[in-house]
Amino acid sequence: MTRSARWIVFWLGAGGVGTLIVLALLRMPSFGGLVHPYRDLAVPAAVGRSSPNIVSSINFDQRALDTLGEETILLGSVVGAATLLRPSKDEQELLDRDEGRVLEATKLLGYLLLPVTLIVGADVVFHGHLTPGGGFQGGVVLATAVHLLYVAGSYRLLRRLRPKSWYQVAEAVAAGAFVVLGLVGLLLTGAFLANVFPHGVLGDLFSAGTVFFLNAAVGAEVTSGVVVLLSAFLAQALSVREVS
Amino acid sequence: MTVDPSCLPPLGIAIPLAGACVLLALAKFAPRVVVDTVAMTTAVVSVAAMALLVAATSSGRVVTWVGGWTPKDGSGVGIVLAADEIGAGFALLACALTACALIYTWRYFDDAEAHVHVLILLFLAGMVGFSLTADLFDLFVFLELMSATAYALTGHKIEEPRSVQGGFTFGVVTSLGAYFSLTGIGILYARTGRLGMPQIGAALDGHGLDPLVLAALVLVLTGLLVKAAIVPFHFWLADAHAVAPTPVCVLFSGVMAPLGLYGVLRVSTTVFGGVLPAASLHGTLVVLGIATAALGATLCLMQRHLKRMLAYSTIAHLGLFLIGLATLTASGVAGAVLYVFGHAGVKGALFLMVGVLLARKGSVDEFDLHCQGRDARLTKWLLPLGALALAGLPPFGTGLGKAISEESSGLTALFVLVSAATGGAVLRASLRIHFGLGPPPQDTDSDTTTGDDEKQEGRFPQRLPATMVVAITVLLTGGLLVGVVPAVADALGAGRSASWTEPGCWPRPCTAPRPRRSAASTWSGRGRASRWGLAQRPPEGRRVANWAITYPSHRGP
Repeated sequence: MTRSARWIVFWLGAGGVGTLIVLALLRMPSFGGLVHPYRDLAVPAAVGRSSPNIVSSINFDQRALDTLGEETILLGSVVGAATLLRPSKDEQELLDRDEGRVLEATKLLGYLLLPVTLIVGADVVFHGHLTPGGGFQGGVVLATAVHLLYVAGSYRLLRRLRPKSWYQVAEAVAAGAFVVLGLVGLLLTGAFLANVFPHGVLGDLFSAGTVFFLNAAVGAEVTSGVVVLLSAFLAQALSVREVS
Repeated sequence: MTVDPSCLPPLGIAIPLAGACVLLALAKFAPRVVVDTVAMTTAVVSVAAMALLVAATSSGRVVTWVGGWTPKDGSGVGIVLAADEIGAGFALLACALTACALIYTWRYFDDAEAHVHVLILLFLAGMVGFSLTADLFDLFVFLELMSATAYALTGHKIEEPRSVQGGFTFGVVTSLGAYFSLTGIGILYARTGRLGMPQIGAALDGHGLDPLVLAALVLVLTGLLVKAAIVPFHFWLADAHAVAPTPVCVLFSGVMAPLGLYGVLRVSTTVFGGVLPAASLHGTLVVLGIATAALGATLCLMQRHLKRMLAYSTIAHLGLFLIGLATLTASGVAGAVLYVFGHAGVKGALFLMVGVLLARKGSVDEFDLHCQGRDARLTKWLLPLGALALAGLPPFGTGLGKAISEESSGLTALFVLVSAATGGAVLRASLRIHFGLGPPPQDTDSDTTTGDDEKQEGRFPQRLPATMVVAITVLLTGGLLVGVVPAVADALGAGRSASWTEPGCWPRPCTAPRPRRSAASTWSGRGRASRWGLAQRPPEGRRVANWAITYPSHRGP
């Protein structure tokens, strides 16, 4: 197929899909309408279980199976990326002796921000059932905090303070904890991922039952998953060399 | 001890996940034997759980509200899993094929870490979830779980550019399809405010097929048809199968691609069954199926790369399955599903035998291997047998499934030609390789992909490891049992009305479009919901109806 024929096929297809989507969007309910069947059900359900953050209640209680699936997609992607980025037979990890210089200002800011970022990340994870945020968001913040070691310090320092295999174990344990919490529900009430822990008082730290614990598990899983993922990319970029 | 059947569907998802987490935690420290044992145990336990589920579905659909969110007053916020004979059958098939693939991989991959096993178990969890869920968004989540792990498994041989390229093509094409599906799900949610498939179906009923519903149908089905490698979305399948590790090909061909078709059937009947004229759905799917079958069979005959040949045969068979499913009659659907099961065993065995050739001779090229397989004791006889079974040799499941589907669809000539072409291509290759029949083929066409530079898989001495023999035998026997044991066909409803399709509901759809009025009476929200086991909720119809009455005023311009 010639180049111009390809473009013709592409534009025919794109035109058709575009027209279809525009026609469909014209018939969407208008913005700000009053009919929200799912909202009308989800909000009372969330408040009934002491979870003021409705999104968290939907993610970790009402539709927790979706979140288990999404968390597993992350786990699978991280394991898959680590598999694809592993050093091949004719590659070897070699660390450069000289890593260049970091500006003093960057160092200062990095080390100042490191504890702050850790605290913010933990806050986002553990208040996921109360305020905007949750395990996914907080986990990414925590993983970012770890990588300030690289930005402000050096790759060697990051590697020393971030043992990759521990994070891989942590990732597996955290993902397993989600499954175990689900099985606890199955064992106690006969329903997988049932919210079996006491719901507590609306607004308390320990409230909303399982939502709190699932948030923590997802937070740990996302933190370690992102760390393992970035370590594979960083290794490919910085230390893996082809040897003949 | 009796098990409440409603806990089996979530267990089917949880068991492989738990096994994968244990393996990943042990990956660094455990010796290879432990890794293989844990993976195998997980697969066997999953097979047992899904077998129990299949047994339980014989007395009706098993419905599970995850998290105990059983609907009150007719509407719920939770996710529902609904296992019928076909869904549970697909889940069992996925578990059984995974167990066979894991037997074959025993000491197969060179690198010590357990990543491949973890990925295979996560892939299994995705397939089981996809088979059992009755929630449209959940279906998408498990579709993505299958995809994310499948890309990595495809590109596993990172030393080879072609392997990474195959995985990349697979990734780009399937992800694009999935985005279309997600858009469609979003549009449907905007219209109905629901995500459960029967609930969306109930909400759409009686509102007619306006462009929004049509667009949603097209978009959702696109992602599923890409997964099922239906023409014109078939490009990824051959590239991915050519480079993926052989045991992974067994899963791709045997169950992952057919699951795409299962999704098409489930979505188009449960979600869109009430608004879509059955005749037009039937017509569209049959046309796609014929194109896929013809193209796959033609390309299959032209291959010399054995794994690509088997891959194109899979495409051809997917076309035939689609034609069977598109009849939307009980016997057509049951025949197609039987065909899928028989095909999974036969095609899996064929892939593993090609894998053995690749491991022994370092090539999967038909021309290159001419006369090279005279010394092979097992594959010499089993490969031609598998080729005949692929063509539909009667005692095999492929034979029975093909017979039922071709009878239901009325396209006997196409079924015979396509299956004979694919079986014939494999038979040609196997006779050339093992018996040296015919003159040595001349390399004339430089455009054809050769199979002599594939990377040798595994390392083993002259004797074939017992595990590989066991895997091949189990798969071939399985393909045979599907056709021989009457209980399998009975369970799928080959002789009676399948649960998918009430006989009064889809009366020979190609003859005449369903009258509107009868559609309203048989496919009303209430009727459909009750078939999903939601009949215990008396006010179901009322709530949906109340909301639906207020609905039209909120439609867009």
